[in-house]
Amino acid sequence: MRIPILKLHEYLLITIQVELDDQTALQFQEDLLSKIHDTGAKGVVIDLTSVDMIDSFIAKVLGDVVRMSKLMGAQVVLTGIQPAVAITLIDLGISMREVPTALDLEQGLDKLRLELEG
Amino acid sequence: MDIQSCVEVRNEWDIVSARQLGRNMAKELGFGNVDQARITTAISELARNIYLYAGNGKICIQPIDQLGKKGLKIIALDSGPGIRDIRRVMEDGYTTSGGLGAGLPGVKRLMDEFSIESTVDVGTEINATKWLR
Amino acid sequence: MDSLIVNVLTKNQDVLLKKWLIELEKTDITGHVKFAATPNMLRDTNEEFFRLLLKHISYNDISQDGSIERFFDQLLQTGLPVNYMTQGLQGMRRVILDVLLDDGSIDKEKAIELYNDIDRWLDPILNRVVENSAQIWEKTISIQKSALLELTAPLIPVFQQVSVMPLIGTIDTERAKLIMENLLDGVIKYRSEVVLIDITGVPVVDTMVAHHIIQAADAVRLLGSTCILVGIRPEIAQTIVSLGIDLTAFPTKSTLQKGMERALEITSQEIVRKED
Repeated sequence: MRIPILKLHEYLLITIQVELDDQTALQFQEDLLSKIHDTGAKGVVIDLTSVDMIDSFIAKVLGDVVRMSKLMGAQVVLTGIQPAVAITLIDLGISMREVPTALDLEQGLDKLRLELEG
Repeated sequence: MDIQSCVEVRNEWDIVSARQLGRNMAKELGFGNVDQARITTAISELARNIYLYAGNGKICIQPIDQLGKKGLKIIALDSGPGIRDIRRVMEDGYTTSGGLGAGLPGVKRLMDEFSIESTVDVGTEINATKWLR
Repeated sequence: MDSLIVNVLTKNQDVLLKKWLIELEKTDITGHVKFAATPNMLRDTNEEFFRLLLKHISYNDISQDGSIERFFDQLLQTGLPVNYMTQGLQGMRRVILDVLLDDGSIDKEKAIELYNDIDRWLDPILNRVVENSAQIWEKTISIQKSALLELTAPLIPVFQQVSVMPLIGTIDTERAKLIMENLLDGVIKYRSEVVLIDITGVPVVDTMVAHHIIQAADAVRLLGSTCILVGIRPEIAQTIVSLGIDLTAFPTKSTLQKGMERALEITSQEIVRKED
């Protein structure tokens, strides 16, 4: 299973709407990095509104994706993390403080625009 | 009579089946949104440990009713190499697989009750219970 | 009940009452501020109990018509200290023994036997009083507990994208969990970009409380909103630093007003005085 990555001007948009298994998550990591490479995208928004569980593995993959993208010159924002998911992550002891977040896709794009343009 | 449902864990996709089973049972028992996520995540962590360290084992989920107190119990069983130093694996940030090291101490925080028993070269059994609020 | 007891007690009821009231006076309830009774009320209560007791003395079982039960239930509701009631009942037991022994018509052995009857007869009353009072306490505690949970901070939207959560009172783990859920649900509901957590009303911030607050702020940040901790009094700043609690990951302000100014700045809003 592959997660579709959309391009919008210099940004990439991803809405994760499937239950993430380990393979899908790792495949997504690979796909996103090569898409950044191919398009020269400066910003990425990963929307997690429909994700109802993030365990330590998925959290690690997401954190890695953010750091790897940054190395390639693309800023990543995670959006739409649900309250139940956030509470679970905190219980797990994962606060992802270095990962930028926003309430929804729209605000995620605004945040990127603000950081990249001014 | 408490009925147990079990999922064999042999590959990565079994992790998904185990947590889906857990979520469905938690929902059926009347757990709220947040506790459903807690239970599902705990199962995911335990199932991944089985897959990563033991190769195969099983996750059993059992509704419990103790003197009118209702809850859900997760039992993770494997006959893998066992854990040499239980105190180490219960430390935050300790990992041998390059993960976040949040697994077992995280499960303990996600659930209300937690116990672990392990014998080197025999296997590991972890019990974790969440009570209905 | 042996008719002998009934006869002896009815015959000696004046002595019995007098002795019992003296016995009761030894019980000091002045320390109980909760029960504001005039001496008259207390005397009426005592006499009423004595009257009920005599009325029931010819029954084998005190729960015959339930009037003693009702009497004690009502008494408990008035807030009469439970130790006054238990001492009263125990005093009654002693006084009855005295009266039985003093009565010339009964020999000692018979008196002891009768006293055993009295014992078996008074015990259930005593048990009931203790049990009921424990139940009343348990009920009170559970009511107060749920009242405390209701106190659990609401998230109040103040300006567009800016909400405030005032925390009041002690924060334990159970409350912290509810606060966290309320907070996060509110952030989603009001689409709050900035949340001000006001701890002015939190009496003590120890490592545990700070830990809960840091977790809440971390969770708020995961949702994509910013948390500003406000209402940090000097003594709280002192304890936070001396306990070695690291709050540097979160913006903090001394007052709600300063926090609000910062929140408006973050959300690109400002308050402008109207020109006439």
